[in-house]
Amino acid sequence: MGKYADDPAWSDLTPLPTDEGGSHPLAQIAYSADYEETMSYLRALMAANEFSPRALDLTEDLIDMNPAHYTVWLYRAQCLFALNSDLHEELEWLNETALAHQKNYQIWHHRNLVVDKLGECGGETEFVARMFEKDAKNYHVWSYRQWLVKRFDLWEAGELEFTERMLGEDVRNNSAWNHRWFVVNGRAGAAGVGDPEVRAREVGFAEEAIGKVAQNQSPWNYLRGIMRRCGKPLAELKGIAEQYASLDRPDAVRSSFALDLLADILAEEEDGKEQAGRALDLLASRYDPIRKNYWAYRKDQLGLGELKQAVADVA
Amino acid sequence: MASQQDGDDTLDELLKDGARIEELPDEDEDNNSATEMNGPPFPGKHLQPKRKHDVPPWMNSATLGLFHEDSQTPSTEALAKTAAECLPFLTLEDTQGLPLNSHGLPHLRRKPHADFLRGCLGDLPAPYAAMDASRPWLFYWCIAGQSFLDEDVSEYKDRLIETVRPLQNPGGGFGGGHGQYSHCACTYATVLALTAVDGLEVVDRKAMWHWLGTVKQADGGFRMAIGAEEDIRGAYCAMTVITLLNLPLELPPDSPARKAGLQSFTDSLGNWIGRCQSYEGGIAGAPNNEVHGAYAFCALACLSILDAPHVSIPAFLDVALLTRWLASMQTTPEGGFAGRPNKLVDACYSHWVGACFTLIEAALPTPADKYTTAKEGMWNKAALVRYLLTCGQQPGKKGGMRDKPSTRPDGYHTCYSLSGLSAAQHHHHYDTQGSTRDDGGSGRLLAAFNWRAERGTAEEMKALNVDEEDVVELVHPVFVLRFEAVEAARKRFEGGGL
Repeated sequence: MGKYADDPAWSDLTPLPTDEGGSHPLAQIAYSADYEETMSYLRALMAANEFSPRALDLTEDLIDMNPAHYTVWLYRAQCLFALNSDLHEELEWLNETALAHQKNYQIWHHRNLVVDKLGECGGETEFVARMFEKDAKNYHVWSYRQWLVKRFDLWEAGELEFTERMLGEDVRNNSAWNHRWFVVNGRAGAAGVGDPEVRAREVGFAEEAIGKVAQNQSPWNYLRGIMRRCGKPLAELKGIAEQYASLDRPDAVRSSFALDLLADILAEEEDGKEQAGRALDLLASRYDPIRKNYWAYRKDQLGLGELKQAVADVA
Repeated sequence: MASQQDGDDTLDELLKDGARIEELPDEDEDNNSATEMNGPPFPGKHLQPKRKHDVPPWMNSATLGLFHEDSQTPSTEALAKTAAECLPFLTLEDTQGLPLNSHGLPHLRRKPHADFLRGCLGDLPAPYAAMDASRPWLFYWCIAGQSFLDEDVSEYKDRLIETVRPLQNPGGGFGGGHGQYSHCACTYATVLALTAVDGLEVVDRKAMWHWLGTVKQADGGFRMAIGAEEDIRGAYCAMTVITLLNLPLELPPDSPARKAGLQSFTDSLGNWIGRCQSYEGGIAGAPNNEVHGAYAFCALACLSILDAPHVSIPAFLDVALLTRWLASMQTTPEGGFAGRPNKLVDACYSHWVGACFTLIEAALPTPADKYTTAKEGMWNKAALVRYLLTCGQQPGKKGGMRDKPSTRPDGYHTCYSLSGLSAAQHHHHYDTQGSTRDDGGSGRLLAAFNWRAERGTAEEMKALNVDEEDVVELVHPVFVLRFEAVEAARKRFEGGGL
């Protein structure tokens, strides 16, 4: 009795009920009758290697009940491709499903397979942007967008502007910073920030972001990343570091990330180690005490011995 | 809102959807009841001034008020909300009626947590169908989690073997349930759970070897299943299974990766992992993606399987950069870890990030190795312990551990909170004299078996503000199981072969 058992269109198939493995399985789920029935027919379809319109319908049914069921998604993709189904139609259905199940992640791999097969991505970046309205840091949606950019060569199709817009909404959105890095540097053979003009633009972008919110790890990481990729010394960032953390004004540090950067810059300077030690002391005792052991480790690596209370400097 | 969803992008998403199933509200919630005799009753803020407690420096108001920002953003709002939610517990202003230890922190509620995990292995109502594709994780979290509390889990052996038999596919590997495709995460969780109860005889090793050959990729990485995504979880899960079961490292003849010239499961793997380290220093799930704490653990643990950590980790990753990133993930004022920059604290990262320090400390050049044992290590263990005991424990009879106070406990957070607690409480040493490969014999990678652990001293426990009963068992830094269980698996398959 049930949707499939009662349907003559399915009468040729013998359902395969769940094998629980024994009389007293661990974490046994009391499946609803609908779920158990649908799963039983799925097993029968898969056992027969059947890729058919009715199989496609059944996967839709099951995905509605349990969108986290990776097997159903993978099987559905095989059906779609075996049947040469209309992939635009599939995308429309996926849009609804994605919006209804914001946290679901299998859907993004499926979308990836479908759009890859389709060979075109009209409307995709717009849809992805809609997803970010609900969760602007959704890891899988960002990963999907990175795939889109690479697959369809969207490097110059407004992606940089998109990251600017996302960071305009939340300058702390680290996912958007990562995407910006990818758009600037991820293209095969691209010089990225190795090009002086691009570098100047990106340094300027990060500095402006720091101007808005200084105690924000993302743009500081971005600046360090730029120097590293170009093989430039961190010393090139001394100006901005000192703007937000100066040892001459230990009371007026505006960013622990600036102070950390300053410590690294000073450590590379001739005769700068002692000062670097002072910066690390300040971090440990005042500006970032939760990482005291890490700052102590850094100081130890410079051969400067143990931390000192930086309070005296402050007073 | 991005808040409270941080955990949703960890080791296996699908799980997490399921792990967060709304359970029926507890009828017996007695968290604020003043009837518990072991702790002072919670008086309510309006009645008397806050009790004076020894508030750690990272939580004092001067530190918290240091950086006033003019520009509020959605991230700032979520971060402020979480800090506000945690502070009354962190400062011990509200101890939720939990029994307190001799240092004034809540005790680790061993028995309720063990009961909670036991309950998650019992019969589950229909809404748990959302976890139908991830039941093996429940086996692992709930069995391993109990073992971290020193509960005897051998009683599960026969039932677990019976339960997972229909999950194993004739072509090798385990799916999430009967008739589901084999999947790296399900296979990893099943093999770990079986290892915990010494029940690995049920695994068809030869078929497993063949199946793993089908998910190995030409670029060196692993897909999660045939036709599924390629990410760093696949690499860690596959290498864990290969090593525990001592499967041959050479690829099966029918492995598609052979067409690209690869011969071994380990070929190009270190390079592929290296490509996952981003400009920020942390590790992404796949090249070009964003850094994430759970993926950092997968990368470090996988490299620690491939070779001795001081050899393999610096060979493929920039250690100083990664160390900075890991340290930066500990949050102020909560003291737990976040999974990504500017995201929220979540107890599961106590393991995903906390356990990374064990591995990375073993990868440091020798002077630092001396440093970490002589002093307190590079991270704030006391702060993590405080977060887990004050914010991570579900009050009331139910037990279990949770992401943060506003969330419900589940097996996932309980298991990884306990593992993180273990990383904070004990010491691990990598024996650099141990051989890294069974060259004369089966060819097995041995590096992951060269770890030794010792319990933290009484003095150290005092510094962490814990009593003896708040101390959990030693957890293996690579396999996230009790050492005894890992040793049994090493011995069982010592001879190799198929």
